Amino acid sequence: MEIDISQKIAEQKKRKRQEALLALALVSPFLIVFLLFTFIPFVMGFVFSFMRYNPYMPEQNEFIGLENYINMFNYKNPISKLFWDSFLTMFVFDAVAVPLLIVIPLCLAYLLNLHPPGYKIFRAIIYLPSIVSITIVGIIFGNMFKGDSSGLVNALLGTEIDWLGGRPWAGDTLRWLVMLIASIWWQTGTNFVIFSGALRDVPKSLYEACEMDGAGRWKRILYVTLPNIRMAVTICLFNTLIGYLNLYAQPYVLNTLENEDIFVSPMMFIQTYLMGGLTYAKQTGYLCASAIVFGLIVMAFSILERKVTAKRRKRTRHTELCAGVDADRALLGYEDETVTEVCGNDD
Amino acid sequence: MTTEKRRRTKSERTRLREKTVSFIVLFIICFVWVLPLVYMLGTSFKSELDLQLHPDKLFPSAWSEWTLEHYFGFIVREGKIDNMPLWMLNSLWSTFATVILTVIVDLLTAYAVVFLNFKGKHTFMKFLLLWMAVPGVIGTAPSFALYSQIRNSLSISSGIAGYAYVYTWLIVPGITGIFNMLLMRNFFLSIPKDIVDSAKSDGASNMKIFRRVVCPLAKSTIMLVVLFTFTGSWNSLIWPQLLLTGENSYWNTITVALTGYTGGSGWGATGVAMATSVFALIPIVIVFVVTQNKMIDGLASTGIKA
Repeated sequence: MEIDISQKIAEQKKRKRQEALLALALVSPFLIVFLLFTFIPFVMGFVFSFMRYNPYMPEQNEFIGLENYINMFNYKNPISKLFWDSFLTMFVFDAVAVPLLIVIPLCLAYLLNLHPPGYKIFRAIIYLPSIVSITIVGIIFGNMFKGDSSGLVNALLGTEIDWLGGRPWAGDTLRWLVMLIASIWWQTGTNFVIFSGALRDVPKSLYEACEMDGAGRWKRILYVTLPNIRMAVTICLFNTLIGYLNLYAQPYVLNTLENEDIFVSPMMFIQTYLMGGLTYAKQTGYLCASAIVFGLIVMAFSILERKVTAKRRKRTRHTELCAGVDADRALLGYEDETVTEVCGNDD
Repeated sequence: MTTEKRRRTKSERTRLREKTVSFIVLFIICFVWVLPLVYMLGTSFKSELDLQLHPDKLFPSAWSEWTLEHYFGFIVREGKIDNMPLWMLNSLWSTFATVILTVIVDLLTAYAVVFLNFKGKHTFMKFLLLWMAVPGVIGTAPSFALYSQIRNSLSISSGIAGYAYVYTWLIVPGITGIFNMLLMRNFFLSIPKDIVDSAKSDGASNMKIFRRVVCPLAKSTIMLVVLFTFTGSWNSLIWPQLLLTGENSYWNTITVALTGYTGGSGWGATGVAMATSVFALIPIVIVFVVTQNKMIDGLASTGIKA
């Protein structure tokens, strides 16, 4: 009898060990690739940022302490000046673009949610540009807004406006306007689709109750619609903001010979220096430092996003399905966006 | 019997009016929305002369001005195959590789995390969730530095070895997208535990459960991951551009290659640029048309997409 029990225990232990081994085998591809290609470079980035580092001449590498960071924050340093100027330029653009990329999709989603005939086709058409690559967007809008009379817009207006010319803070307002138009055309889709999903999930009974009480359209929007989709708006707002802090492609594809070398966003700065090959290779340590400084600024926004959404979530409904996931989340001590969204739509 | 038409109630009338207004507004917006794409398609058929004389037209100005020369001119030049098909091939195979590897890796990892017990599971998940807040830009510079240093020290220059090396770095880092993995995991969490448990008590091995129970259930989530990865990988610019700049131009992916037509120092050649853009759009539009409702619904219900 005793032998039987100990045998069973041993068997169970063996099974557990086998399961753990299997799990390790299944996770290992993800883990190994993640460690090798994401985590190790990330850690090395911190190391490089304290070094004078050149990937092509490893024998010259040496630790220089905080020098890269000191240079980074020294506005008199010509390279740092480029970085911070580009940061400011981008930030002004973001301040205009991000609110528009929330408001426009929201209005469109509201209209779509009235379910006019053929709304699925409208939805598909508005989403369509989102799958076009930014280089193609650049080709299309670059040709539409070409500076001489061979551009579509200039030809239609009969003018020769230099749409894409000018330097930052000196006559390039039109270039930013074109970028804004292109961005709106290109990126309305994602937020629009998320908002229309959120609007669809607002309980119909709330509207009906409101109508019974004689509330008008604006009151309904203000007191029923907006509070119910607050979560989606918050998530989209932060994601769009983070996306636009990483602005790179729009200015890269929409420019003229005159201003193509001027950095107008930190991503452009980092990317151009990295692409410079041997010429800029000795700046790698400095670039790592500036990427870390810039990355921390971006990260501040994503942490803020999590704080805000976590607070909101506490007040949202708990379904049976969510309860299990919630327990899991509590275990992790962490809020995961996708979880609530997925189970929020299943009920 | 008199079939008197029933008067519409007030709220029904309001609803009808709302629908009409929203239909008209959305119709106008959608018309504007497709104009850039129509312009691209129309311009790609314009003859060289028409491009210069009628830049204000969306389509070629006369039937005689329609031409396919921009399409053929770039596939075959002077009797030899030109770059464009090679770019398409580079994009196609690397995108397919990314998609397949991503799906396999995500399925395996999510299965282990949800259905198996192992030490450090919660630390692993917690770590990944935290990692989502870390901006990729921090890793770009050192990744590229490591890429250059390894390449330099192994003295891989060009030829097959160089191509393989570049494309390894282009494809492999992309397969561990945390968002996709979480999408899969969240779906697995929603599978009732009873199904898996009863299969286990019937003596099914993990392999069998994975293949016969979990994977068939996860079909639509797999589809979603495929769609997100496909469009993301096909359109990705920053990282491939970093790896491919200064390399043999035959190695370019189509998205990176098209940057040659943009901006101030672009090659001009409007007709060819438009025709190549149309080519580059074909695979992605096929994917979109076939699956658009699933894609849009999936995006709407998963809430966020990085």
